[in-house]
Amino acid sequence: MKQVNIPSGANLAQLYRDLQPDYPKFFKMDVVSKLGFLLTEMLVAGEAGRFQPRQDRAVLVFSRQGCLANDTHYAATMADFPSPALFVYTLPNIVSGEIAIRNKYAGETSAYVLESYNKDTMWELVRQAFQDRITQSAIVAWIDCPTDTQWTAEAFLVNRNDL
Amino acid sequence: MEQLINEIKLKVIEALNLEGMTPQDIEDTAPLFGDEGLGLDSIDVLELIVLLEKNYGIRLATPADGKAVFTSIATMASYVQAHRTK
Repeated sequence: MKQVNIPSGANLAQLYRDLQPDYPKFFKMDVVSKLGFLLTEMLVAGEAGRFQPRQDRAVLVFSRQGCLANDTHYAATMADFPSPALFVYTLPNIVSGEIAIRNKYAGETSAYVLESYNKDTMWELVRQAFQDRITQSAIVAWIDCPTDTQWTAEAFLVNRNDL
Repeated sequence: MEQLINEIKLKVIEALNLEGMTPQDIEDTAPLFGDEGLGLDSIDVLELIVLLEKNYGIRLATPADGKAVFTSIATMASYVQAHRTK
């Protein structure tokens, strides 16, 4: 099972440039989606058939804070001109959608907000995602961002036979 | 007008997080939307509407106005020059 992580406080713009994904929308994303995007790039770069539409790959993202950092930024703009660009990231499941859109994954996508990092709960939910007989692999990520510069971000590429 | 065009380019780059882009990278008359221009989307339009109101006191009355105003940086500048209240 392939595993990657991004250290807290890493320069995400530089990491984007290093990976060269040519996806300018990255710069408009909130920090949670940026981390999800980059983690996935690190997991699947060079994979055969990349960008071919597929239904057999799920995306499951877990966190404790959801999109709280972005929510805080958006709330600050409400006193003046509420920012549409920030508003669109005020849902914790946007990150799983961004990953699916980028990679043309049309399988299960979900985001879970847990009370704390709980490996047993997470893997039980991953196992449930594989019960649909369609899913053959999944991007599974823990992305927790109390602020724009502090996070825990790790991801796994899980195949059916890993379970 | 040239100064206003440059100012609007800087504000657009900042508002839309066009990382690594400079005013020189944006042609005055290049389309803002579609494959040939900056490739902006519908959320970006909303940010541009906020930009006009916040910086120039311009409130667009109807969405149809936006289509003409946001054709290019040059059309934005012409509209700002004619309608700005601050």
